[in-house]
Amino acid sequence: MERDKNFILGVYDDEDVLLDAIAKVRGSGVKIHEVYSPFPVHGIDEVLGYKRSKLPIAAFLFGLLGTTLALTMQYYMMKIDWPMIIGGKDHASLPAFVPVTFELTVLLAAFGMVGVFMIASNLKPWGQPRIFDIRITDDKHVMAIDLALNSSLGESILSDVLKSSGASEVNFKSFE
Amino acid sequence: MTENKKTYWKGLEQLTNDPEFVKNAEREFPEYLPINGGNEEGSTRRDFLKLMGFSLAAASLAACEAPIRKAIPYVNKPVDINPSIPNYYASTFSSGGDYASIVVKTREGRPIKIDGNELSPINKGGISAIVEASVLSLYDKQRLAGPHINGTISDWATIDSEVKAKLAAAGPVKIVTNTVISPSTEKVLEQFAAAFGGAEVITYDPISNYGITKAAETSYGTAMLPTYNFEKAGVIVSFGADFLGTWISPIEFAKQYVQGRKISKEKPEMSRHFQFESNLSLTGANADYRTPIKPSQSGLAVLALYNALAKQAGAATVQGAAVEIANLDRAAKELWANKGKSIVVSGSNDPNVQVIINAINDLLENNGVTVDFSKPSYSRKGDDSKMNQFVAELKAGRIGGVVFYNCNPVYDFAKGAEIAEGIAKAKVSVATNSTMDETASLVQYVAPDHHYLESWNDFYPRKGEYSLSQPAISPLFNSRQAQDTFLVWAGATTNYYDFLQQNWNTTIFAAQTETSNFQEFWDRSLFNGVYSIPSVSAPVTSISDVASAASAVAKSYKPDNASTELAMYVKIGIGNGTFANNPWLQEMSDPISKATWDNYLTVSQKWANENGLRMNEGETKKAKLTVGAKSIMVPILVQPGQADGTVGLALGYGRNKAGRVADGVGVNAYELADSDKGFTNFDVIEGVSIEITSDSYKIAQTQTHQTYMGREFVIQEATLGEYKEDAFAGRYQPKIYKEGEFVKPSKISLWKGHQYSQHHWGLAIDMNSCIGCGACTIACQVENNVSVVGKQEVLNRREMAWIRIDRYYSSPVEATSNKELEIAADNPEVTFQPMMCQHCNNAPCETVCPVAATTHSSEGLNQMTYNRCIGTRYCANNCPYKVRRFNWFKYHDNKDFAAVNVAQNDDMGKMVLNPDVTVRARGVIEKCSMCVQRIQGGKLTAKREGRKIKDGEINVACASACPTTAIVFGDMNDTNSKITQLLKIKEDTISAVKEVNEERAYHVLEEINVSPNVWYFTKIRNKDKSEA
Amino acid sequence: MHVTTSVREPLITGGKTLKDVTHDISRQVEARPSLGWLLAFLFSVGVLLLGSIALAATLWEGIGMWGLNKTVGWAWDITNFVWWVGIGHAGTLISAVLLLFRQKWRMAINRAAEAMTIFAVICAAMFPVIHMGRPWLGAYWALPLPNTFGSLWVNFNSPLLWDVFAISTYFAVSLVFWYIGLIPDFATIRDRATGIRRSIYGALSFGWDGAAKTWSRYESVALILAGLATPLVLSVHTIVSFDFATSVIPGWHTTIFPPYFVAGAIFSGFAMVLTLMIVTRKVFQLEDYITIGHIELMNIVIIITGSIVGIAYITEFFMAWYSGVAAEQYAFMNRMFGPYWWAYWSMMTCNVISPQLFWFKKIRTSIVATFLLSLVVNIGMWFERFVIIVTSLHRDYLPSSWAMFYPTISDVGVYLFTFGLFFTLFFLFAKFFPVINMAEIKSIVKSSSEKVTK
Repeated sequence: MERDKNFILGVYDDEDVLLDAIAKVRGSGVKIHEVYSPFPVHGIDEVLGYKRSKLPIAAFLFGLLGTTLALTMQYYMMKIDWPMIIGGKDHASLPAFVPVTFELTVLLAAFGMVGVFMIASNLKPWGQPRIFDIRITDDKHVMAIDLALNSSLGESILSDVLKSSGASEVNFKSFE
Repeated sequence: MTENKKTYWKGLEQLTNDPEFVKNAEREFPEYLPINGGNEEGSTRRDFLKLMGFSLAAASLAACEAPIRKAIPYVNKPVDINPSIPNYYASTFSSGGDYASIVVKTREGRPIKIDGNELSPINKGGISAIVEASVLSLYDKQRLAGPHINGTISDWATIDSEVKAKLAAAGPVKIVTNTVISPSTEKVLEQFAAAFGGAEVITYDPISNYGITKAAETSYGTAMLPTYNFEKAGVIVSFGADFLGTWISPIEFAKQYVQGRKISKEKPEMSRHFQFESNLSLTGANADYRTPIKPSQSGLAVLALYNALAKQAGAATVQGAAVEIANLDRAAKELWANKGKSIVVSGSNDPNVQVIINAINDLLENNGVTVDFSKPSYSRKGDDSKMNQFVAELKAGRIGGVVFYNCNPVYDFAKGAEIAEGIAKAKVSVATNSTMDETASLVQYVAPDHHYLESWNDFYPRKGEYSLSQPAISPLFNSRQAQDTFLVWAGATTNYYDFLQQNWNTTIFAAQTETSNFQEFWDRSLFNGVYSIPSVSAPVTSISDVASAASAVAKSYKPDNASTELAMYVKIGIGNGTFANNPWLQEMSDPISKATWDNYLTVSQKWANENGLRMNEGETKKAKLTVGAKSIMVPILVQPGQADGTVGLALGYGRNKAGRVADGVGVNAYELADSDKGFTNFDVIEGVSIEITSDSYKIAQTQTHQTYMGREFVIQEATLGEYKEDAFAGRYQPKIYKEGEFVKPSKISLWKGHQYSQHHWGLAIDMNSCIGCGACTIACQVENNVSVVGKQEVLNRREMAWIRIDRYYSSPVEATSNKELEIAADNPEVTFQPMMCQHCNNAPCETVCPVAATTHSSEGLNQMTYNRCIGTRYCANNCPYKVRRFNWFKYHDNKDFAAVNVAQNDDMGKMVLNPDVTVRARGVIEKCSMCVQRIQGGKLTAKREGRKIKDGEINVACASACPTTAIVFGDMNDTNSKITQLLKIKEDTISAVKEVNEERAYHVLEEINVSPNVWYFTKIRNKDKSEA
Repeated sequence: MHVTTSVREPLITGGKTLKDVTHDISRQVEARPSLGWLLAFLFSVGVLLLGSIALAATLWEGIGMWGLNKTVGWAWDITNFVWWVGIGHAGTLISAVLLLFRQKWRMAINRAAEAMTIFAVICAAMFPVIHMGRPWLGAYWALPLPNTFGSLWVNFNSPLLWDVFAISTYFAVSLVFWYIGLIPDFATIRDRATGIRRSIYGALSFGWDGAAKTWSRYESVALILAGLATPLVLSVHTIVSFDFATSVIPGWHTTIFPPYFVAGAIFSGFAMVLTLMIVTRKVFQLEDYITIGHIELMNIVIIITGSIVGIAYITEFFMAWYSGVAAEQYAFMNRMFGPYWWAYWSMMTCNVISPQLFWFKKIRTSIVATFLLSLVVNIGMWFERFVIIVTSLHRDYLPSSWAMFYPTISDVGVYLFTFGLFFTLFFLFAKFFPVINMAEIKSIVKSSSEKVTK
């Protein structure tokens, strides 16, 4: 059977039920493809066993880049490229460089990180997501299980597992 | 002016002065030159240069379109004209008796700037606002384009034949003129008069000093004006004579006066100056002791002084009602103590008063020393009684032909209205006025004269002192020099130029022994502009006793006059009104009232309070001023120092045929003067009434706050006594706490500062020498193409002046609270402080400009880069001196400003612009550049000649115009420069912050350590104790 | 089953379910515009057009159209600038700071507040440009761009240049922060919609799939952005205050400005949020989401910041007196008793006295009182900036240059223009964007809606 095509879906109404269900389902050796929710469910990454996001590191690096860029730019423009006497100050009057440095740091950190996030989560204006169940942006949580990956267990068993975990309904969904 | 001397010697005077050359000039160019103006003589070199200059100016200003079509490259370049290299010609300004020997700066053949001629023994390089501004009048489009007959343009041939014929048949001919100080012109007039049956020449002066000449006749036998010498006077007493501002020869007097006022540790002495006057005049503002008196008391005050001195001298006293006048006894005492080195003058036009003045100076043995009748001055020859008689005859229709020679009595004579109706009765009426003014517009024939910058002439302002004027540009209009006109009408064949040379040949040349070659003599005189024949001065003996005059005075003056009195006065900017159509002068803020574009009734603070009048930001009420039968509506201005019970009103305003600039500005005060007592009297002591009306009015003032709020960081002053004890007297020396000690603000900085390895330009301004005359403000305006913005924009507080003279009144002694400090004392001490960009080494404006449009040069200049400026005005806000100016609108080539900003709007006016200075665009900041164009020019010259710059060869416009050398410009890195000496900059340092050891020198706002390159010297008053 | 017991007031009333949330908030996006909205929108467009006449006149004739002069080089222009920037502080502050402090009550208001921030900053950013003498050049000369003049750069010493960086960074980051928050809600609307609307909101939602992985990334992004935005918010008004604090003009040269400006900004920002929220909740019947509790909490913030501002005013005077600098002392006396005393006292009444009314629970929980006071506060804050700028400039060091400033019709018109712009944008937002962050609200429906806490 082909991967990433046919799924069995467990639909949950309550986030707490969902959290327990995930634990149960994984406990019974089922590989969960992904869980879809209308809002961020706290603690869900732990039960799904997701690692902590690396975005903070991206933010930090981009911030560092911003600081360096800002300082070098200002130093180059004021001191090297065309030094001018302004208000009797030194050409490179560092205290005056602080605000711009700070702003550029924040700017690059923010944009860098968001950019990474967009790419990582494949968010783009023309993006066409796979909708497992239209209600996941409304009021339902959906647990998607790739049949191909769990071929060892039959569909019936999977649906039993889901039902017993508290799913309000169990559906099948396949993408061409 | 030394650079002028230098540039003269390019052999150009040969070319400019050689008559042969001038004659042949026209043959030097092909006739297809596009010459306009229909000049009969055809194209001359100067025509060509005029167009050249014009078109080059056009090119240099992206502003003017039309003339660009006329741009022609030099076919063969005239030897003496190099594009962008100025030429200087010595010449002479004269209007009536007002006189100044000048140097005209021309660029590509256009006169663009006037400076004083340092060779002149009279104005000694000094100059006044009016003289500075007169160059713009040259390009005044109101000047007549050609001769007019009954108001319609005609040609010279017609007017010549008609006038000749008619005058010959007219019967008695009178020639009316203001004082003529040109000997050759006088000869021409004689010749003209002779040609028409001994026509009589009647001389009058708008601002008459007939009283003095008449008194001289009574006292010493001849009607004349003495030469005054304020320099030699240790004590100066003036009764209403504004000798620093407007009286007879102010530039000359200011120069002398200041010699006695300059003070230093080496010479801690200065003259003491008493002033007794009704209006607060420029002179009164500079006096040590000033007493406000009513005009009705002035005569008695003089009598009282005479008596006091007579007692001392043991001479007979005279009868005269006793009058209580502060400081008069003290004045008498000190005058006596300074016998032979003092001076007493009076502005009164009453011959009797002047007789007493003469007597006083005789008693004090000033006769022949400070008041010198053996060296008569010819600058006032008006005869009021003769003029009155003429008016009577004219009215009676007993005059056949009347010729007005460059005078405008319909406007500026007390009986102007009567003259106006009389002219119609004359068979022939002629005027040589160059505009259709109040008089010219009433006569049948107008034969317009050249502007003085287009004319040849000579002058004899004082015994032994001659000077010449030469054309600096070919006539712009189809006008003809009046002297030539007279010669033609008199049937003479010579032209005036030859006549003039001939006259010099036979008189002055004959009288001198230095050279036997006339050409050489002529060329040198023309080159120098002046020629002197030395003569020794001696006292003249009095031939009359004072008794009769005294009794006359006693009769006509009163110790305590109940009714309001009107004292008319002259403003330094507008003068007698001849140049009223000059926008520079109209917008020049009056040194005292700081008002522009108006004359107004000055009233005392006391009067204002009693009548519930408050002035707020120029907002005031109009008053109905009634004098005898006449009454006019005039705005009121509250003037501290105005004598109680008196009001002042400036002459020279209320023109209605001067031109688009001046017409309808202010009211005409001349018609309020009376001349029935045989002399023109500008003081009215009876029948004056003022009633405040409900209609409010705005007077455009450039400064609306009167006092300096006791702020020592702005004004630092002391009395002579204090100064003698301690040279630091009056100095405010802020100290700031740092690491356990109090140090000078300049010692505290984050930065080590920069070094100016080449030059370090700076200004030293002596507030003791500055008399506030404002010549510098106009000089700056001319040099730097500063826009005129008009009354409304001045009201909006948007005047563009790069240099202003801050005028501060002292607050009452007892004032302590802010509210009290804001009010000026009733008779305040006055301080003038020239304020321009301070070129701070730690400039707050530079720091805040986001685009670095204003930065510091490596020579200490604060530079403004117009084309980089984006106009955030942050620099202007952050300037502690508020000297930065913003172009709120487009002032050039903008019809909204065409009427006032003529120098940047009409094609003719633009010829006056300085090609070295950009005309600023809308939306950019501008400010004093310390005449950077002159500095660069000077550096280039020195470089070309492979030498260092000599101190004084570069000078900024304000400093070179200053008649009292209150402003000194120079290189503070040059150990021998004058400024370095003045400031006592000891060691030869190249650091931006200079160690200045002169005790009197200070920085305005020292405590904020912006470290300016402009230094001020404390104001020292010669009085026992400061009254503020 | 895990159940929260909340001691505090529920943040959502009326026993809403997740579906209700979706419905209540998406409803006004999907429904056709109501008459009330239409009128309000057209009115603001009208104001915009009216103001643009004055704006055009200024750009065509020159800054001379305003009442400025040689002494007072800034007045309404920079007053309005600082005022709008101040207002533009609440949004990001509410979302960022309150997010860091895990203040859940923010969720109902942060969306609209951030929108307001962005529009306010747009209005603010206009003034530095149009107040220039030559905006057509200044608009880009103020940026460090390579240019035909070779090595001609900007001046990094100038606080005005710092502003350029501060304002643009603040704007950009706030915009991103706001938009990231919008993406899931756009997805919700997308999934409810059909046809053209579906594709539009589809594009706006950036292909959001609601996967747990995305959500976890989304959350850390939100958290870090909040972490970045917080110092940013504080920095913006600090830097704006540098325009004055780093100058030499008495009344401007004051080290207290940075904190005092920030407090003032939060003060006026919260006031403006209240003004708008009170209207929005009424118009879109969102009383269950924006509750009295919210309003009260915000009023408390206003008391605090208002008092801080008050203390700052007093401190300024103390320092002026204590410094012993004559010019400084005069500048402050002149504020109180000079020609502009009325501006000073209006500022004092509006900013220091009136907010103290919120000490009374009755007043701070009354919609009407809150609405009126929120207006009063913003009037007061406008006067604060006017007082600082104009009364300091018009009488500084040299009495010879002392002058008055009188506004012209163009001054007023340009201010009107920004109002028109602000409200036009806000009404567009309120109609076509979800005014409340659905996803966040849903995450607390269970924990803090009445249904559970009963």
